[in-house]
Amino acid sequence: MTRYRAAPAATLRIVPLDVLTLVYHRASGITHVVDSPVPELLEVLGEKPLTLDETLAALAAAHDLIDPDREALAARLDELVAAGLVEAV
Amino acid sequence: MGDDNSEDGVPHAGKAERPSRRALMLGAASASAIVSIKPALAQTAGSVLNCEIPVPDPGRAGSYIDANGKVVPPGTKGAFPPAVRPFRGEEVKKAMNGANLPGTTYDQSRAYTNYIRRLQRGTSGFTCFASLQMPRG
Repeated sequence: MTRYRAAPAATLRIVPLDVLTLVYHRASGITHVVDSPVPELLEVLGEKPLTLDETLAALAAAHDLIDPDREALAARLDELVAAGLVEAV
Repeated sequence: MGDDNSEDGVPHAGKAERPSRRALMLGAASASAIVSIKPALAQTAGSVLNCEIPVPDPGRAGSYIDANGKVVPPGTKGAFPPAVRPFRGEEVKKAMNGANLPGTTYDQSRAYTNYIRRLQRGTSGFTCFASLQMPRG
C-alpha cells in the first residue's frame, strides 16, 4: 500500500505569509507557494510515512476537518508528490 | 477615556486564547493548492531525464551504501555495494515514485534512493537530482 512521507524537515524552509505559505525546498532550489491544507499535510507526514487513510485520520485528529473527503486528500497528496515535497513510498 | 477599553464588556478580547484546533478544508479534488517557482537552472525535460547520478559519487567510489543512504566503508554488514553504473534521471524519477532502480533488489533500491535524496550541492549527481524535483521536469 502506498505511504506518503514529507521531504526531510531540514530540506524545507517554511514561511507563513498571511493566508498563504512559502515552502522553499533546499534540495531542488524551488519555492512553492502553497495554500492550506499543504502546511498541515507536511506536518503530519513529517513524522513517519502514512497511508491515505492514516493521513486523513491524522489531519482529523489535529484539526476540525470540514470536508473529510478521501478523494480530495488523494488529489492534494498527488500534487505534493508531483512538486517533490512528498514522496510516495 | 484614553486607550482604556476595559469597560466595553470584553476587556480581554484582544488577548483571547487561540483555539487549539483550527478548522481545515481539503478543498475540491480538481483545485490546486501549490504554485511552484522554478529557478533559472531548470533544464529541458529531455536533458533532465538523461542526466546521470553515480552511487556513490566518484570521490567515494567503492564505498558501500547503508539502508539509510549513508556512505559506509566497503564490506560493511547490511550495506549494499556501489551501483555497477550511474542511474539516469528517468530511472531515479521512477524510483522516487516507488519503482525499483534497474538491476537492484527492493532494499538495495531504497538504500540507493535514500543516498540520492541526501545528495548535497557540489556532489556529483546533485544537479541532476535537483532538476528531477522540478514539477513536470
